[in-house]
Amino acid sequence: MALTEASREACATALDTLLARCDGVTAAMLAFRDGRPYVDRVRKAPMQGKFAAMSSSLVALGQSILREVQGGTLDHVLVEGNGGKFVVASIPGSGGLLVIAVLANHDARLGLVLGHAKTCALAVSAAIA
Amino acid sequence: MSGSESYKLLFIGEPGAGKTTCIESLSDIAPLVTDVRCTDELARLKENTTVAFDYGELSLGDQGRLLLYGLPGQSRFRFMFDVVRENLLGVIVLVDAASSLALDGLRETLDAYESAIRELPCVVALNKNGKPPSALLEGCEALLRERGMVAPILVADARRREELVRMFDLLFMMIENGVDPKTPTGEATWH
Repeated sequence: MALTEASREACATALDTLLARCDGVTAAMLAFRDGRPYVDRVRKAPMQGKFAAMSSSLVALGQSILREVQGGTLDHVLVEGNGGKFVVASIPGSGGLLVIAVLANHDARLGLVLGHAKTCALAVSAAIA
Repeated sequence: MSGSESYKLLFIGEPGAGKTTCIESLSDIAPLVTDVRCTDELARLKENTTVAFDYGELSLGDQGRLLLYGLPGQSRFRFMFDVVRENLLGVIVLVDAASSLALDGLRETLDAYESAIRELPCVVALNKNGKPPSALLEGCEALLRERGMVAPILVADARRREELVRMFDLLFMMIENGVDPKTPTGEATWH
């Protein structure tokens, strides 16, 4: 799967749409499965490269746990604290190449964040197909 | 050590140094491996890379169990050290002795984990080359010395359990004899 400049721009547009449509989302990032950043969009402080590494670790650990407990395929990993939410998921159809990470305020509605994150993931999937 | 206790041992080193192989060779249980296919230039050297940590367990009989952790080689995963650092017994630093960039790899590892290596008993293991050139051995010694670190350097094949056990013997000897890794003598021991 070759990622072109056009697909990168389409991915950035998908992240822009996510931030524009979902209240409470403050940052979103696409990262490679081995922990390198690909594209990110933020409202406030920049999303640092280490988030890419942490996101790939979370997805890998989530998949490992599900394998151990025969829990099927990973849908998403949610990290929630009293100051915010962090959701990570694999991009469907990318062969595991990319993961999406979404950062949201603590008062953002989890269902909306997950729903918009999945919609964004599908848009990214179409963009890189 | 007592039979009911467990001890954590950490494997670090450049990508491809043999950390995953080490844990697979040593573990009594099916190891947890969080490898993914590489997406950068590293793919020319190896197909997969660890992105969280490798985990295995080794029975020490009535002396307890060793919990084996292998961290990703890339410095962007340095945060993972903070996840596993509590109650670490020691550190094994692996070097790909077959690589022309072996000293660069060791330098990056020492730079990334210098504080940990200073605080814990440490062994440097040259992997993938049973007869490493003397220049590599001297280079490793020099890298340790210029940082004021003390660590034995030995040649070990990560695929052979009996050779890896020698690393543990050295490490436990350091622990039992109270070798202070912070002693700034700059001396490294050859084995």
